[in-house]
Amino acid sequence: MVVSEFHQAITIIYHEQEMEVISMKKILGIDCSPTVAKTVSGLLGENDHIQYENFHDEMVLNDYDMIILWMGQRQSNVVEQICKLRYACNFQNIPIILVHGEQQDVSSQPYVIAGATEVLSLVNPSPACKHIIKGYLVPSREPLAEEIEYLNPFIKNTCHVLKTMASLDVTFKKVYFSNTIRIFGDISGIMGLSGNAEGTLVVTFYWDLAKMIIARMMGTEEDSIDAELIHDGVSEIINMISGSTKKEFVGTPYHFEISLPSVVVGPGHQIGYLQHTSVAVLIFQVGNQSFALHVCIKPKAKMP
Amino acid sequence: MKVIVADDSRLVRGLIERAAVSMGFEVVHATNGREALDLLEANVQDVNLMILDWNMPVLNGIDVIKSMRGDDRFPKIPVLMVSTEAEDGRIQAVISAGAQGYLTKPFTADQLIDAIHSVLEKK
Repeated sequence: MVVSEFHQAITIIYHEQEMEVISMKKILGIDCSPTVAKTVSGLLGENDHIQYENFHDEMVLNDYDMIILWMGQRQSNVVEQICKLRYACNFQNIPIILVHGEQQDVSSQPYVIAGATEVLSLVNPSPACKHIIKGYLVPSREPLAEEIEYLNPFIKNTCHVLKTMASLDVTFKKVYFSNTIRIFGDISGIMGLSGNAEGTLVVTFYWDLAKMIIARMMGTEEDSIDAELIHDGVSEIINMISGSTKKEFVGTPYHFEISLPSVVVGPGHQIGYLQHTSVAVLIFQVGNQSFALHVCIKPKAKMP
Repeated sequence: MKVIVADDSRLVRGLIERAAVSMGFEVVHATNGREALDLLEANVQDVNLMILDWNMPVLNGIDVIKSMRGDDRFPKIPVLMVSTEAEDGRIQAVISAGAQGYLTKPFTADQLIDAIHSVLEKK
């Protein structure tokens, strides 16, 4: 194949992929009036599949690629809506775009802390607005073979720890790569990694699931589990996941040393990761609830 | 029978206590290695077993074992190390330091009880 034909082939593939990416996306508009829906449709284009619904507490968001929420209420109510939507995302990286009809800038901070990805005005939306929204519809990259190789032991041992300690059947659901340092969950157990490979491991739960797991580990009722015990249990879970996985990396560039774990509590907390290193977010399911393991690991040097 | 359980995790101490009590032990808790040694010194006549975590603040489990084995007052008290460290070299280091048994976390209650029996038999 000559160079020009090669470029033409690549261009066709690129266009086909772009068409597919855009046409396959499922978007949910929440609390959008017909006027707002028309503006949103104009931004997204005719190929997108947009459904509209009014907000309610039992929303199921697993299948959506983007949520567009109209800021139709006062700040505290919208923040509460975003928290509930983020919870319903089950740790998936579904962008939540908050749109409003104010001419002037709206402070995005309370909404972003609650779980919104972006806050945009729909008043005379600029071409950049369209590109911003389209940008969030670009899918995360798939893990490379080398990444699968180092992620598999973490997946296996996470399931093993909860099976052994809490008699729970845990299912691995999916992995994606994240650039954000904000974690939407109530409690995280954190383990710093050092040695041949360095980085951070973080396990994150919503409070109810953490409480249920710790109660099962202790063989007692959930009512008897206090906050200190939940902190302690989450700390021990990341300790066990790290320790049991560490063994499997002996003799590889991914072998690491562990230290004492720590715990962070509060929705929207932030974790510092190594610069220029991918953070793999592994999502696990227990019954109808989810939790996440964030794996950020970087070998210092290749093994000889 | 009395056992000192040293682990900075209240949850793990609780798990070990439940198994030890079912075997007829009275359990004394320590949250780090220093506390474990102090409790051992205060209860030296009564203690039949030490169960230690490896990674603890203040003083780690392996340093507790070394302190015990270097002290004439308690050389014969058996030690079970319970830790997430699962590499063969690490386990061997603990046994060489003077522990009678090693149990890797995560563990089931039955595995813990078996490990305690095994350590007591080696005494």
